[in-house]
Amino acid sequence: MLRFGPDQGPLVAVALPLFEDANRVRGFAVAICRALAARGVATVLPDLPGQGESLVPLENCGILDIADGFDCATKEAWNANRRLYGVALRSGALLDKLALLDGRWHFAPQDGPSVLRDLKRIKQASQPHIRLSDADWYFDLQAPADHPDPPVEIAGNLISTALLTDLSVYAPWTPADGGPVRIVRLDSDPAPADRHVPGTALWRRAEPGNDVTLARLLADDIADWIATCER
Amino acid sequence: MISEDYDRIDATLRSTLRDVLGLSETRAAALDADTPLFGAMPELDSMAVAGLLTEIEERLGILIEDDEIDGEMLESYGALVRFVATKTRR
Repeated sequence: MLRFGPDQGPLVAVALPLFEDANRVRGFAVAICRALAARGVATVLPDLPGQGESLVPLENCGILDIADGFDCATKEAWNANRRLYGVALRSGALLDKLALLDGRWHFAPQDGPSVLRDLKRIKQASQPHIRLSDADWYFDLQAPADHPDPPVEIAGNLISTALLTDLSVYAPWTPADGGPVRIVRLDSDPAPADRHVPGTALWRRAEPGNDVTLARLLADDIADWIATCER
Repeated sequence: MISEDYDRIDATLRSTLRDVLGLSETRAAALDADTPLFGAMPELDSMAVAGLLTEIEERLGILIEDDEIDGEMLESYGALVRFVATKTRR
C-alpha cells in the first residue's frame, strides 16, 4: 500500500479500477496522490485483492471480496479518528460500497454492465472464430455440474464467474445511498456529472500513460470538495 | 442524416479514433469516407476494437449490440460513420 501526505487530517483512500485498467491508470493515480499531498491531503493507494502485489489471486475474488479489501485498507483511518474519503477511478467506483466513508468522489465512473460488456468484447476479439453466446458466455457449459465453475481467462486475467455475475448487476454508489458523492468526467463523456474537465482517457491507451495536468486539476477538485465537506 | 448530426458524429468519431488509437491530429483529420480501417490501420487490432466501441458508446450515448459488430461496420471510416448514424437516430 502506498501512502502520501501528512499523518493528521482527513485521509483519502484511492480505489483503482478493476483488471487491466488498474495498470493503465496506476501512474496517474500516484500523480493525483502526490498532488494531493502537496495540498496537505493524505492518501493511501492500496493493492486490493487480485490487484498488483496482492497475494490473493483474482480468480478467487467476487466483487465483495475486493470491496472488503478496500474497507480493510481504510480501517487505520477509523482507528486514528481521521475523517475518511473515497476517491475512485473508473470501475474503482464499484469497490467503495463496504467502506464507511464520509464522502465519495468518482472520476469517470463505470457501471458493472459496461465493464462486463467491455470484457466480453475483449474475449470475443481473442477468439474471433467462436461466437460468444448472449448472457451465459462466461460459463463453461461442458464443465461437470458438480464442480465449481472454472474461471474465465480474459486478456491474461483469470476472472471468476462469480465476479462476472456481480458485474452484471453492480452500479456505483449514488447520493440516494447516502452521504456526499461528487462525480467528475472528461469533456468527451456526455454522461451527467458535477463537473466535466479536459484530459486524456488513459484507460483506453494500449500502454500505461499519465496526464499530470489532469492529475493536478483533479487534485484541486478533490481538495476543494473535501474542504466543503469538512465545513 | 441532417448535417448537424453528421458533424457531431464525425467530430466525435475522429477524436475517439485519435484518443484510443493514439493517432496524430493530422492523421485523424485526414480520415475520409474511403479510408480503410480494420485490417488496414495497424493500430486497430481486434483488442483495440473492443475499447474503441465502448468509448464510442460512452461519447455518443448509444449501445452497440454484439450481433451488430462485424467486419463491414469497420471496413472504412465512412462505413463506421453510417453505422453510428443509424444508432443515434433511434
